[in-house]
Amino acid sequence: FIFVVGVVGAEIGKTTNVDQQDAGEDAAKQSSKASVFVNTEPMREEQVQNAVKFLSHPKVRGSPVIYRRNFLEKKGLTKEEIDEAFRCVPDSQPSEQTAGANQANTPDVQRPAQSQALQPGVSGSTGVTTLSRTRYSFRWSHALIAVGFLVVSGAGTAILIKKSFLPRLKSWIRKIVLEEEYDQLERTDSKPTVAEEASQAAKAAAAAAAELAKANQEILTSTSEDRRYFADVVRLLDKQVQEMKLMTNEIRRLEASSGASYSRHEDYQVNQTSSKPFIVNGKRDYGQRSVTSSSQPASVEPSSAPHPKSYMEIMAMIQRGEKPSNIRDIDDSPPNPNQQPSNPRLAPRTKPWEASQVQQNSTPAFPSQLNVKDLNSSVLDNSDNAVPWWQAKNAGIREINNGVDTNVYGAASSQQPIKRTWVPPQPPPVVMSEAAEAIRRPKPLVQKEQTLDDSSDISDKVMKSSELSKSERPIEGSITNTVLGSAEILEES
Amino acid sequence: MPVFKTPFNGYSVKFSPFYEDRLAVATSQNFGILGNGRLHVLSLSPNPSQPFTEIAAYDTADGIYDVSWSESHDSLVVAAVADGSVKLYDTALPPTSNPIRSLREHTREVHSADYNPLRRDSFLTSSWDDTVKLWTLDRPSSIRTFKEHSYCVYSAVWNPRHADVFASASGDCTLRVWDVREPSSTMVFPPHEFEVLTCDWNKYDDCIIATASVDKSIKIWDVRSFRVPIAVMNGHGYAVRKVRFSPHVRNLLVSCSYDMTVCVWDFMVEDALVSRYDHHTEFAVGVDMSVLVEGLMASTGWDELVYVWQHGTDPRAL
Repeated sequence: FIFVVGVVGAEIGKTTNVDQQDAGEDAAKQSSKASVFVNTEPMREEQVQNAVKFLSHPKVRGSPVIYRRNFLEKKGLTKEEIDEAFRCVPDSQPSEQTAGANQANTPDVQRPAQSQALQPGVSGSTGVTTLSRTRYSFRWSHALIAVGFLVVSGAGTAILIKKSFLPRLKSWIRKIVLEEEYDQLERTDSKPTVAEEASQAAKAAAAAAAELAKANQEILTSTSEDRRYFADVVRLLDKQVQEMKLMTNEIRRLEASSGASYSRHEDYQVNQTSSKPFIVNGKRDYGQRSVTSSSQPASVEPSSAPHPKSYMEIMAMIQRGEKPSNIRDIDDSPPNPNQQPSNPRLAPRTKPWEASQVQQNSTPAFPSQLNVKDLNSSVLDNSDNAVPWWQAKNAGIREINNGVDTNVYGAASSQQPIKRTWVPPQPPPVVMSEAAEAIRRPKPLVQKEQTLDDSSDISDKVMKSSELSKSERPIEGSITNTVLGSAEILEES
Repeated sequence: MPVFKTPFNGYSVKFSPFYEDRLAVATSQNFGILGNGRLHVLSLSPNPSQPFTEIAAYDTADGIYDVSWSESHDSLVVAAVADGSVKLYDTALPPTSNPIRSLREHTREVHSADYNPLRRDSFLTSSWDDTVKLWTLDRPSSIRTFKEHSYCVYSAVWNPRHADVFASASGDCTLRVWDVREPSSTMVFPPHEFEVLTCDWNKYDDCIIATASVDKSIKIWDVRSFRVPIAVMNGHGYAVRKVRFSPHVRNLLVSCSYDMTVCVWDFMVEDALVSRYDHHTEFAVGVDMSVLVEGLMASTGWDELVYVWQHGTDPRAL
């Protein structure tokens, strides 16, 4: 199977560099059938526009990328539409992070650039990541710098005033006093008034100085107040963000508890609130929230299933921090981590859907009309040893060996038997190491037995013809050979 | 009576693809909240008075949420454990040699395990750490990690006709279709407004997939036109925990729910509900249909019981 993602890539208008290994393959891929497991819808402009508006919203900017993507996915946008929206919003970080994580385990997997998630220049994406991150943090440092600047300037003006203005004032006072004294020498009778004036001036000057000092103090305190206020604002914003996160957590837990009856320890959601989820043995969070939320079903959401009483008791125990007493300490580690599995005794059996035709008539009213009486009689009939109780006589034993089906839907049925057409030959056994390689390599050239199972599918025939030619192993027709074959392969590999 | 009592609460049951009379049951103590786990391998005996024989039972430190039989080795089972580990057991080896592997990579509970029925050499595990991992038996570490979901991935299921395609259902309300040869998912759409707890591919039509959710409904989709479901099946009273398409009948699927019932549906019919079984007295959490014996189904639940019965019969009969 060759899935051409290039079809999708073309829609976005990007060149698809599908296979870096084989240029010839490229042409083959373009011409071969498109995979059905890929979205073939064209992008909807309106949805993309809405998504862009959503992503541009300042509150959305602050949330992790994966939640933004999930929100859009829940709205029904396709991957291409989401990627396009991320591309249109300049600051945000698209799916490179996740795509990067997908490759974590396989350093030797080549990353074909045809996937629409991998935008041109992954290096550019990491640059965008750091840019968005730094820009976000930049705001706070920016604020800090501004505050610091204010403080410094306030202090600076205070110092300046103290250093330059006051001396000037003092000299001015001294000048006046000197003038007064000089005048006093000339006009002795006006001494007291001059002295008074001088003293008054001095007082005024002192008052002015005091006022100045007070003003200085005020500036200083105001800047420190500003700083404090700023810090308060920051803290409040933080709290609000936490509240919002808490609320979304609550909603999630409501959903979770009503359905799957376990809640999630949101450890990567920076949960710094006071009600820290308790951890029992470092494990799941079954906090108070989950219990209370289940008792307050939201009107919009499906009602939570009533849990068994003992379940609630155990939950209550755990909330109190008690460990249920019936838990044993078990060492379940493998005694020999390199223990080889025992050799298989049976060859894999073909599945019923592999053996039969694809276009099978659907059988409504399946043996629900089965005669219960018949079943009972078959079970109670001890003389009939051939049929175990769980293989009801009527339903028949479906023994699928080499695609031969001994019995069909049921004796009671007037239903049509399965149409027996071409039965595919027994596929060759699994070559583990080779198949593992095949999984690792994108678009592997060598496909093994699985393609042969799907014989009736037309597309598979196209595939088979191209791949059989590359297959090293001829088709083995019988089951017995497969067991030998596996031994051979193990020796080879 | 065809009932087996497990000491712990049942979580999952799977028929063996090699032996008609064999099944594996995953159980967890204390409803899986906190406690040990046990993996049972049971054999159905023809003797109606003692219908079950326990071939093996393996204890684990933490609860087991799911089990999957190997498609290459008839005695191998994969267990999805709540402590984040994936354990492999070989029932043909003595109990003291088990488990043969404990793969520890997931950082949270492993919720599901599924073995590739076509390649037969690899299996998927999905976890509450938002990731799906691909493993093979011969490697001690995972081959791929698929990380795109933004919440717990409850189920990852291989497509029975395309060896490299699988789907994942997640608590982030989306279903993703992946191809292991692609670096990221090939499709994503929101099948439900609420958490999608389970999904399964139709065995006869490779593009049809069923999803079920906390919203109590089961929806059938064709991935080629995923905007509108082919069918919507309502009828469960609470969240639907598991769906499985029948290996033998194209339109039939079975589901189990927190309303304690197991239902069989035919999605091509107007009145889709074919049968309803209310044998469980607590949440019905696991259900499976046998690939080898047509009509044979098994279910387990928090009432610590495992039932095996033929479709159309009463599970509690005899």
